[in-house]
Amino acid sequence: MTRILSNRMNILYLMIAAFLAVLPFVYDSRSLLILLSQVFIFAVLAMSYDILLGYTGIVSFGHAMFFGIGAYTVGVFMKRFEPETSYFLLAVVVTIVLTAVVSYIVGLLTLRLKSHFYAMLTLAFAGLFLVLAEKWRTVTYGNDGFTFRVPEFLRDRTDFYLICLASMVVVFILLKRFTNSPLGKVLQAIRENEQRTESLGYSVLQYKIIASVVSGVLAGIAGILYAVSLRFVNTSVFTMDITLDALLMTIIGGVGTLVGAIIGAGIIEFSHHWLTELAKVHWIFERWIIFFGIIYILVVMFFPMGIVGSLKKLKFSRKKKDSVPVKSETVSQGD
Amino acid sequence: MDVLINLSLNGLATGMLIFLLAAGLTLIFGLMDVLNFAHGGLFAWGAYSGIWIYTATGSFLVGIIGAILTGMLLGILTERWIIKPVYGNHVQQILITLGLMLVLSEMLKVVWGPNQISASTPSYLSGSWEVGGVIIIKYRVFIIAVGLAVFLAVQYVLKKTKIGLVVRAGVMNKEMVQSLGINIQKVFMLVFMIGAGMAALGGMLLGPYSGVIHADMGMEFAILAFIVVVIGGMGSFSGSVMAAILVGLSGSFMAYYVPDLALAANMLLMAVVLIFRPQGLFGAKG
Repeated sequence: MTRILSNRMNILYLMIAAFLAVLPFVYDSRSLLILLSQVFIFAVLAMSYDILLGYTGIVSFGHAMFFGIGAYTVGVFMKRFEPETSYFLLAVVVTIVLTAVVSYIVGLLTLRLKSHFYAMLTLAFAGLFLVLAEKWRTVTYGNDGFTFRVPEFLRDRTDFYLICLASMVVVFILLKRFTNSPLGKVLQAIRENEQRTESLGYSVLQYKIIASVVSGVLAGIAGILYAVSLRFVNTSVFTMDITLDALLMTIIGGVGTLVGAIIGAGIIEFSHHWLTELAKVHWIFERWIIFFGIIYILVVMFFPMGIVGSLKKLKFSRKKKDSVPVKSETVSQGD
Repeated sequence: MDVLINLSLNGLATGMLIFLLAAGLTLIFGLMDVLNFAHGGLFAWGAYSGIWIYTATGSFLVGIIGAILTGMLLGILTERWIIKPVYGNHVQQILITLGLMLVLSEMLKVVWGPNQISASTPSYLSGSWEVGGVIIIKYRVFIIAVGLAVFLAVQYVLKKTKIGLVVRAGVMNKEMVQSLGINIQKVFMLVFMIGAGMAALGGMLLGPYSGVIHADMGMEFAILAFIVVVIGGMGSFSGSVMAAILVGLSGSFMAYYVPDLALAANMLLMAVVLIFRPQGLFGAKG
C-alpha cells in the first residue's frame, strides 16, 4: 500500500476514482450518470484497444466484433433464459470463451503476416459478423435487434454506474500490471523493433496472439456492459462505428498509456453528447464525427503520441532541460 | 441456362467493378507499400460526383469523365497531404488512411445529404437484348466492356511503355530504380492518381447498376476489394483481375443459391488462401 501511495500519479488516480464513486450520492443527475457509465464502458473498450495498438503496435480494424460478441451473448442469454444472476454469469463466461477463441483464430491466421493483413482481415471478419447478425434472424432478430430484461442487481442506474466504474478501475489496474510485467515488456519490444525481438529468441507470433486474445476478451466484456446499459442490442454493435470510436479514443487520448484511452473515451463521449445537442443550432453538428476525423488525422500526423503522450514528452523534455543546462536536446520520438 | 448466363454476367459485372477498385489498391501497395484504406472513399466520391454531374448535365459520358477527374484530384491531394507526411511508417499510414476514409464518407453526407440517392441508367444503355431466348441486360455488358478496356489499357501501359517498365521495376525493387536516377516520387503520384481515377470510375459505374448510391457503399466495396487483393496477391495487377472475377462470380452464384453465405464464401476463400498461400494465388512476393 505504501508503495502504491508513494507515486504521486497513483494518488491522483485514487482521488479521481473516489470522487467518481461518491458522485452519484452527492450530485443527483440521471443523464450525467448514464453518460458517465457510457464513458467507463468505452474506456474499457479503448484500453483493450490500446493493448493492441499502443503496446504491441498491431492495428486492428475489427475490434467491434469482440464488442458485438459480448453484447449479443448477454442479450441472447437474457432473452432466451430467465434474466437471473446465474445466467448472466454464464453469459460472461461464454463471452470470454468465444472472444478468446475468435481472437486466437484470427490472430493465428494473420499475425504472422505484415501489419496490413491484420488490419484488413479484422475489418473483413468484423464485416462477416455483421452479416451473421443480420441474417441469423431466429437468434438475433436481424437489423431491428431486440430488447431484454436484466438481472435484479443490474437494474438500478446508480448500482450499474458503480459496476461500470469498478470494471474500468479493475481493468485499468490489471492492464497496468500486465503491461509492466515481463510479458508486457516483450510486447513493447515487439512494437519498437519486431526483428530484434525475434532475434533475441522471443517467439513474436505467440506474444502477439496473447496480446490479441487479452484485448479481444476485454472488448467482449465492454460489449456486455454496453448491452446491459441499453437493455437492447442490435446490429450496430458490430459496425465500423464501434471500432472507429475505440480508435479515435485511443489515438486522441494517447497510445500506449492506458490513461490516455480513458481520457479519450471521456472526450469523445462528452463531445458526442454536446455536439448532438448543438445539432439543433446548426445542422453541421449532426455530422460531428467529421471534426473528430479531421482532429484524428492531425493527431496521427503531428502528435502521434496523443494528449497524454505529448504532455509526458513536454514534462520529460523540461526536466531534461533543467538538469542539463548546456544544451537542450529534443527528445526523439519512440516510433 | 438462362439463369446460368445471367448469373455469370452479373458476377462478371460485379467482378469488374471490384477490379476497378482493387487494381489501384494493389498497384499502390506494390509500388509504395501503402495499403490505402481510403480507397473506398474515393470510390464513393466518384459515384456521388459522377451521378451529380450526370443529373446536372444529362450526359452520362460527361458524368463518367467528371467522376474520373474528381477521383484523380482527390488522389493527388491524398498522396500529397495525407500519405507523404507519414511515408515509411506502416502503422501511421494505416491509421491515417482510415481517418481519411471516415472524413471522406462524412463529407459526402455533408455535401449531398445523408440519404441515398437514386441513379438512373441512360436511355441508350437501359433495356436488354434477347439472344436465343436469353435476356441480357445491356448495362451489365457495358460494365464488363469498360472493365475489360481498362484492364487491357493498363496492361498495355505496364507491359509496353517506358513508364510501365518503371512501375514494374518499382514494384520489384524501388531502391534500385531510384539509384538508377529515376524520380520514383513522381511515379508514385502518377500511379496513385490513376488508381484513384479507376476507383472513382468503378463507383460511378456502380450507380446505375445498383440503382441507388449511399455514403457507406465505399466501405462495403472496399472490403470486397481487400479480399480480392489478398487472393490475387498484393501488388499483382493481373492477379487482381482474376481474383476480382472469381470473387464476383462466387458472390453472384452464392447470392442466388445460398444467399446467406455470399460474403462468408469469399471470406472462407480468403482464409484458405492466407493459410496455404499467403502471397496470394497469383502473387510473386509475400
